[in-house]
Amino acid sequence: LLFVSGETLDAAVPSQTDPTEDSFREESIDLDAEAFVSPQDDSSHFESLIDKLNDQMMESVMISDSPNSEEEDVVPIDSLLEQNEEEEAKTPDGDTEERNEDVSTASAAEPEEASEALFKEENEEEKIVQVDDKRETVAPDDPKPEAPKTQDTALEMDTDTPPKDEAVPVCTIFSQGVQPKAQALIPDGFQPTLVKSPSFTIGNTETPNKLVPQVCQPSPSLSKFFTDSSTVNPASDFFDSFTTSTSFISISNPNAASPKTAAPPESPLLSAPTAAGTYFTPVATKPQVSPVEPMSQLQAVFPSGDDPFGSALITSELDKRYDAWLPSDDTRKVLISVATQQISPVQIDREQLAMPGLKFDNLQGDAVKDLMQRFLGDQAAMKRQVLSASSVEQNFLGLKRLISTKNWRAAVDLTGRLLTAHGQGYGKSGQPTNHTTDSLQLWFVRLSLLVKLNLFQNAELEFEPFGNLDHPNLYYEYYPTVYPGRRGSMVPFSMRVLHAELPQYLQKHQETLDRLHRIKSVCQKILSNLQEGLAEDGSMMNLTQDNRLASIQLWRSRLSRVMYSMANCLLMMKDYVLAVETYHSIIEYEPEQSVQLLSGMGRIFLQIGDIRTAEKYFQDVEKACQSKGETPNEDTSVLMNRAFVYLSQNNYADAHTCFSSVLKLDPKNPVASNNAAVCLLYLGRLKESLGQLESLVHKDPALYLHESVLFNLTTMYELESSRSTQKKQALLEATACREGDSFNVQCLKLV
Amino acid sequence: MDVSQAKQEHLLALKVMRLTKPTLFTNMPVTCEDRDLPGDLFVRLMKDDPSTVKGAETLILGEMLTLPQNFGNIFLGETFSSYINVHNDSNQVVKDILVKADLQTSSQRLNLSASNSAVSELKPECCIDDVIHHEVKEIGTHILVCAVSYTTQTGEKLYFRKFFKFQVLKPLDVKTKFYNAETDEVFLEAQIQNITTSPMFMEKVSLEPSMMYNVTELNNVNNAENSSTFGRMSYLQPLDTRQYLYCLKPKPEFAEKAGVIKGVTVIGKLDIVWKTNLGERGRLQTSQLQRMAPGYGDVRLSLELIPDTVSLEEPFDITCKITNCSERTMDLVLEMCNTRSVHWCGVSGRQLGKLSPSASLSIPLKLLSSVQGLQSISGLRLTDTFLKRTYEYDDIAQVCVVCPYTSPES
Repeated sequence: LLFVSGETLDAAVPSQTDPTEDSFREESIDLDAEAFVSPQDDSSHFESLIDKLNDQMMESVMISDSPNSEEEDVVPIDSLLEQNEEEEAKTPDGDTEERNEDVSTASAAEPEEASEALFKEENEEEKIVQVDDKRETVAPDDPKPEAPKTQDTALEMDTDTPPKDEAVPVCTIFSQGVQPKAQALIPDGFQPTLVKSPSFTIGNTETPNKLVPQVCQPSPSLSKFFTDSSTVNPASDFFDSFTTSTSFISISNPNAASPKTAAPPESPLLSAPTAAGTYFTPVATKPQVSPVEPMSQLQAVFPSGDDPFGSALITSELDKRYDAWLPSDDTRKVLISVATQQISPVQIDREQLAMPGLKFDNLQGDAVKDLMQRFLGDQAAMKRQVLSASSVEQNFLGLKRLISTKNWRAAVDLTGRLLTAHGQGYGKSGQPTNHTTDSLQLWFVRLSLLVKLNLFQNAELEFEPFGNLDHPNLYYEYYPTVYPGRRGSMVPFSMRVLHAELPQYLQKHQETLDRLHRIKSVCQKILSNLQEGLAEDGSMMNLTQDNRLASIQLWRSRLSRVMYSMANCLLMMKDYVLAVETYHSIIEYEPEQSVQLLSGMGRIFLQIGDIRTAEKYFQDVEKACQSKGETPNEDTSVLMNRAFVYLSQNNYADAHTCFSSVLKLDPKNPVASNNAAVCLLYLGRLKESLGQLESLVHKDPALYLHESVLFNLTTMYELESSRSTQKKQALLEATACREGDSFNVQCLKLV
Repeated sequence: MDVSQAKQEHLLALKVMRLTKPTLFTNMPVTCEDRDLPGDLFVRLMKDDPSTVKGAETLILGEMLTLPQNFGNIFLGETFSSYINVHNDSNQVVKDILVKADLQTSSQRLNLSASNSAVSELKPECCIDDVIHHEVKEIGTHILVCAVSYTTQTGEKLYFRKFFKFQVLKPLDVKTKFYNAETDEVFLEAQIQNITTSPMFMEKVSLEPSMMYNVTELNNVNNAENSSTFGRMSYLQPLDTRQYLYCLKPKPEFAEKAGVIKGVTVIGKLDIVWKTNLGERGRLQTSQLQRMAPGYGDVRLSLELIPDTVSLEEPFDITCKITNCSERTMDLVLEMCNTRSVHWCGVSGRQLGKLSPSASLSIPLKLLSSVQGLQSISGLRLTDTFLKRTYEYDDIAQVCVVCPYTSPES
């Protein structure tokens, strides 16, 4: 609770008599302390070193600024603690020593909490003192020269002990202040519970029996999924896209033509025949006309005699380029024996197969709504309308709608439903299953969103059955009947990168680096294959020059993506030397990003504190800008870099000027406006800073309703007044009408 | 929270926030390719995110500044900065507001307020801002004491205080070691360890010598750029230690052979400046480093000339310098005793004559070694006939003895 208004003066009157006197005593102690302070002397507290001279052992050197050498042991930092004035005054002198110890042990026992709170105030104690004549008597009051000053400080430090006399009203202003503690662990306050999927009970019926030989027919009876959920969209909506086997070809369903679905160009999956070249088109229906290379893509692979459709099977160049991957030797052997029909997939040891399944179900929840319920009441919360997994089409289109409206929790739920329909639902992990292009894409989306939601543990759990993404059944060659002639990895490249990046968010940076190096070496091998005139996978296949160049371009961009991940990981590990080196090497692949990369490296040096080297990088940025024909003063990145240098020199005024001049060039630059406001705060201009940020957030929520800006704003609210909660609630309302269920409410600092 | 309602309310509220440097926001790139299910959705989400670096969205280190999230640690030598805000929460005008910020350390109390004059009036919803700075010079508990006094509309004078406690920690561990060269030079090795939890850029580590010494820093590679021996990136990770080396030479007027430098002498002190996140600066000096000058007793025997390599069983020359370090005149006799490997040539027990205080004399000597390898030169004895006192000099130097002949077999 916060102060309402200070009208209750009488309440303090009873407690006024004693404490006033106590405070005098305390004041006199201060005087006393000052009286005894001697000028700092370098050598006064320095013990003689004669005994140790010429000793071969290294000697500890004292740092002269510290007067008391005994206290050199590291003491855990304590947060700002509100002192208890009355308490200290009541303490008799005899108690001081033991109390002093109390304090030190107490602070040693709570090292964790100490660094967390921004300005936590414990035992807040305020006391009204009639200021009139009595305060003037402070100075002449007896300074008690016999009390040594250290003991006096001990008195002052004595805060943690609760007041002994009758319960003194205690108010914790910022009980919220403690809250950031939880942040590290639960990024958005939502802990997914492992709820059993509703489809689990019917699950058994829909998984293909492991003994059934037609393993290659994916999701044969998926329509059962929707029998009890009776959604608007017929199940076939979704399953069409999965039906890649010839026997399951279905005509594109009528819903696909509805205006909603037809409009977005990126939703071709339901209108399969028209969307050539997209991966989710059933293979057999593909006209295989890639928009980029109209002529070169017709290539018959695997014209095997016993396949009635064999001659018609063609793999687009695009597929080949994107799906190319180099399996490990063991996997390659299995794939070859499957392709040459030496072995049927059924015979392959289950240990070697990826058998994923949902590990948890129902993330549903909307933190924003929960907060509204708590702070604004049920009625306000009712107004909050977000899409849920059930309120959209049960297919990729619905999924995309959820993602683009930032309802990622709902989107994860929907991927769960779709995967359940595919037989990879809750509890299905470890059961034989078939993968399709689409099922792996669903997994990729699901896992990406989990990572985006900071639900790293969940992502790790569900990634686990995929192993190293190298199981034979994750390659097209494993399904010769479903994907005749198609080769390469079903796992999208981006999923490999995601898989590699995940461990670093769980503090396993080395694992991330190992995985990234593995991807990098495959990329390099494929590139060298291409440069040597071979196909991506090293086979002797003829590629047209256009295709070869396009492929080289694709794999170079993939390589640079992996290098970015490596550099990012190294930066998180604080291995600045290697991180900077890696960022440097990316410039070669992404020359158009050189300005951003050089600026970024400069900022790394600023973070370390090496301003001189940072300036060198920033000069390189200016040169790069000049070579592009821009004058440095007109380039936002140059100005931005200058501002950061000023900031690092504690020159907030000039930093503010620089950020403001960025805004003159680019008035809608959210970074510059936020940073300018931050500078104002350091200049002691809180109200201005707040005013600017506040108006930005309300004027242009699309740009400024961002975690970082809101965090700054709420921090300033807390600093500004005792009524920060009301103002934060206003932000919550602003958020509620714009943001989806993935919004990280922690930055509002309401709980 | 119920208790707080019974509590006395003030018209003014005091809020304090430590101003450590802001941090740069890092974002978390999750990307996909155009052909993946989300199409360009992820890319668009990242492009729309204001915290990403435009044009290089996969770079995690953004440009957005965020305010400090917690109090953090504060270390000796750093500057403690804090925002103090007094806000009028009431709906009445408050008069004669005086805000005072003091810092109580274990030894003193400092006033940190920028101004000590009272603000005549504060309207509702207005505030008084102050940013205080203080370079922390003591380890241990510090208490920021903020006192606010004011007068209400009814003329009532009110007063309250708030206390904020924090601990100042030691950032560095410094260890030193002296090496005495055979000349008068002294080498100082200083090991500086970062005992904070964040990387630290060492902007300056220098030895400020005392008036008796000149110092040469040995921490640079003498190439064109005169670069540091620590490489291009001069930062210390948490718990990393770095060794700095300095060569100290006594100024001629204080030379040891003149007998001026004796016993414990002050060498100087190390001055260390470091920076951390976005230029947060810290500076420390060590206490005066002290060194015991090597004791030479009454008579010092040093070598002025000696070959490094000699041939087996072939005589070679050395020149010894004998200095009288005592306060009296000596009458010295030189004896030479053979050891297992070293054989002195010439007469033992020769009179060197009288040597007055601080005077020295050089004597050439001849010897040979009968054993190969690194041999120690020992066995010199000086006897002061006045006091009948004998001084022994063993292991005064080493020479490498090699065989000049090639053996018949080879």
